[in-house]
Amino acid sequence: MLEQFQKFGRDLFQSGLTSSHGGNMSVRMGDRIVITRTGSMLNHLTAADLIETGLEEDDSNVMLASSELIVHRAIYQNTSALAIVHVHPPHAVALSLVEPEAIIPIDNEGSYVLRKVPIVQTELTTGSKQVAKLAAEMLREYKIFMLRGHGCFSTGPLLEEAYQWCSSLEEACRIMYLTRMLQLAQATVPSQSGAMHLEYRKHTDNYGTW
Amino acid sequence: MDGWTRQVLRVNLSSGESRVEELDPALLVQYLGGRGLGTHFVYNEVVPGSDPLGPDNILAFCTGPLTGVRLPTGGRSSMSTYSPLTGTVLDANSGSQFGVRLKWAGFDALIISGRSPEPVWLEVSAEGVTIHPAGELWGLDIPTTVEHLHQRGTAVVCIGPAGERQVRFASIANEEGRSYGRGGTGAVMGSKNLKAIQARGTVKPSIAEEELYKFVEYEARKMVSASPRTSRGLPEFGTAVLVNLMNRYGVFPTRNFQAGTFAGAEAISGERLREEYLVKRGACWSCPIGCKRVTKTNGATGEGPEYETIYALGSNLDNDDFDTLIEANYLCNRLGLDTISAGATIGCAMELVEEGVLDAELSFGRSDLLLQTVEDIAYRRGLGDELAEGSRRLAERYGRPELAMQVKGLELPAYDPRGMQGQGLLYATSNRGACHLRGNMLGPELLGIPKMLDRFSHQGKAGLLIVIQHTNAVIDSIGLCKFVNFAIGDDFFARMMSAVTGMKLEVQDLLLAGERIWNLERLYNLRAGFTRADDTLPARFLETPLPEGSSAGHVVHLDEMLADYYRFRGWTPDGIPTPGKLAALGLDELPYLQEVVHA
Repeated sequence: MLEQFQKFGRDLFQSGLTSSHGGNMSVRMGDRIVITRTGSMLNHLTAADLIETGLEEDDSNVMLASSELIVHRAIYQNTSALAIVHVHPPHAVALSLVEPEAIIPIDNEGSYVLRKVPIVQTELTTGSKQVAKLAAEMLREYKIFMLRGHGCFSTGPLLEEAYQWCSSLEEACRIMYLTRMLQLAQATVPSQSGAMHLEYRKHTDNYGTW
Repeated sequence: MDGWTRQVLRVNLSSGESRVEELDPALLVQYLGGRGLGTHFVYNEVVPGSDPLGPDNILAFCTGPLTGVRLPTGGRSSMSTYSPLTGTVLDANSGSQFGVRLKWAGFDALIISGRSPEPVWLEVSAEGVTIHPAGELWGLDIPTTVEHLHQRGTAVVCIGPAGERQVRFASIANEEGRSYGRGGTGAVMGSKNLKAIQARGTVKPSIAEEELYKFVEYEARKMVSASPRTSRGLPEFGTAVLVNLMNRYGVFPTRNFQAGTFAGAEAISGERLREEYLVKRGACWSCPIGCKRVTKTNGATGEGPEYETIYALGSNLDNDDFDTLIEANYLCNRLGLDTISAGATIGCAMELVEEGVLDAELSFGRSDLLLQTVEDIAYRRGLGDELAEGSRRLAERYGRPELAMQVKGLELPAYDPRGMQGQGLLYATSNRGACHLRGNMLGPELLGIPKMLDRFSHQGKAGLLIVIQHTNAVIDSIGLCKFVNFAIGDDFFARMMSAVTGMKLEVQDLLLAGERIWNLERLYNLRAGFTRADDTLPARFLETPLPEGSSAGHVVHLDEMLADYYRFRGWTPDGIPTPGKLAALGLDELPYLQEVVHA
């Protein structure tokens, strides 16, 4: 299990999805959770950084567990998830600050894999009961969602899947960002169709209803 | 509330009476349809321990809310009963048209009870049911029976001579070539003196949310065409695409699971099937994948063989004579036999001969005896009458029960669990006995779906298997084919359900229903007397390492996985659902709970 946490922790940091001490991961084992230590560096995880505690009840290990433990627990209690990843992908966080309800990828890969990533917001964004409640609600229906201005939570039966959704989201958001920059650059150039981007998909308007 | 017709047609063959009942909408949401609904009927109406081949058993043909809807693979239906082969609750799932026509006739379910004094066939339509004397149909094989009864706008299910003689692994054919295959469905139908059912239905179901439906259907077909499994592998080679793959992984069962590699694999492979035997490809109703094969050999034409059949009648018998294998497959289809149990039982007999405890001509590699043996089973002639009881009863009869490759009486499918730890746990815990269709770990352990896991590790398998078991229960209940799950996942199923029914159903609502169905099946089996001791594998898989190939040296570490499995499920260490778990699933008010669950 440590090997899995190290592998995806390293990838999460090195692909720029989180900062040196940001983000957290967990897996569920029946009525137990293994979650990364609060303040741990995902790029340098050791056995001491994996904290096991109860799914329902606290024990002394909650002193060491990630500050998002309450959110992870709520997700496991309300979904069939077996793994959770929480990171702060910069382009996705930036887009969450300008998109009102959801990030709708415009690229092919993002459309296939994600279709729609809803955005929710709370006043208290870290380790709060409000986030826990919202996260559990969102992840009953979606495999990943954005907490406005903070980051994403994603789930899967395996850490690899949860990691994939974060990675796909950030790529999709980077493409959206680049496209909008190009649109901005072309806004006053009629020969470049102004600020248009060229749609290639069918049922485009429906992605928002996913 | 679109998607369901909310009507069940009941026919009592003892009295000849029939009636239509309204189904409680809450029940449909709770169990979805198909397998879930059928399990509900069996749990409440068939006393475990009674004679599965007696008049008190039922045949419950159940459609799902997506059956008969033009979504990818939306033609599936289930048949639930109390199995004469295993003594467990049983559901068998099938493509083809019967479920579609039953739904279009206006029924979520057709439940048949009692026993007709004389052989009969049923004509089912929106007007109800007419019981006809089977007369000249009794004794006919499946293609001939279907030919007699099939008309435009109808679909036919029937049994062949094997079902008439109550062979314990006789199947029910759904049109020609597709089957409610496993566990002895055909024997139950035969025990009722019921030869066939013709369903006539023409009223297509309405869709609650057209806009969402069109979008989900479009996206789903896009995903199916983008997946290499559903757009290339299965359409091009059929399920036989797995022969060479499984052989390379060292999990291709050979000589009654004495080995996991077969020297003759190439001769019975999907590649050879395509090159030398394929006449045309086909597909079940509304299926864009099209894994069906129409083949020909020695002048005969028929469907298949599927991968599982190639193992059962091929490598498992040390048989690389593809022509004979294909003919034996046609024969099973014609006479109405489950090919897996037929081949596995013959393989068991061959090992009994090899061990010197059964005196018979059969032996590994004797493909020249295969066709006659299959026919003898179907007609219960000579040794065939003993084989018709299935491998467990056969091996017990000769004092060597460990030579039957079965769990809870159901013969193993075509994946040696020693090279797939999670598959071993699946076989041990599957509610209808050893089965790959109750949560196949082929995906995560060998094909990388959703991701590739270490197939030899037993760690982390229990939790994933449980999720897959629930997903499979959902797919079987809503009316889709498991192969579509190679391309689309739970989020699609939830949106398909929402679009068709008009109810807002979330992914987790469906998975909870899947867990409810799984637990209901478990409760029935507990009532039938099954215990933790039955959640096991033949000793061969636990004690004898595979001798060669890329899985050589491995056995299944079942005990470690099983303890995790029970705990993760919220069951006691003896494998009994706790009162808390049942309350969470809304099953705490069920009848008969006091027989098995203790506070």
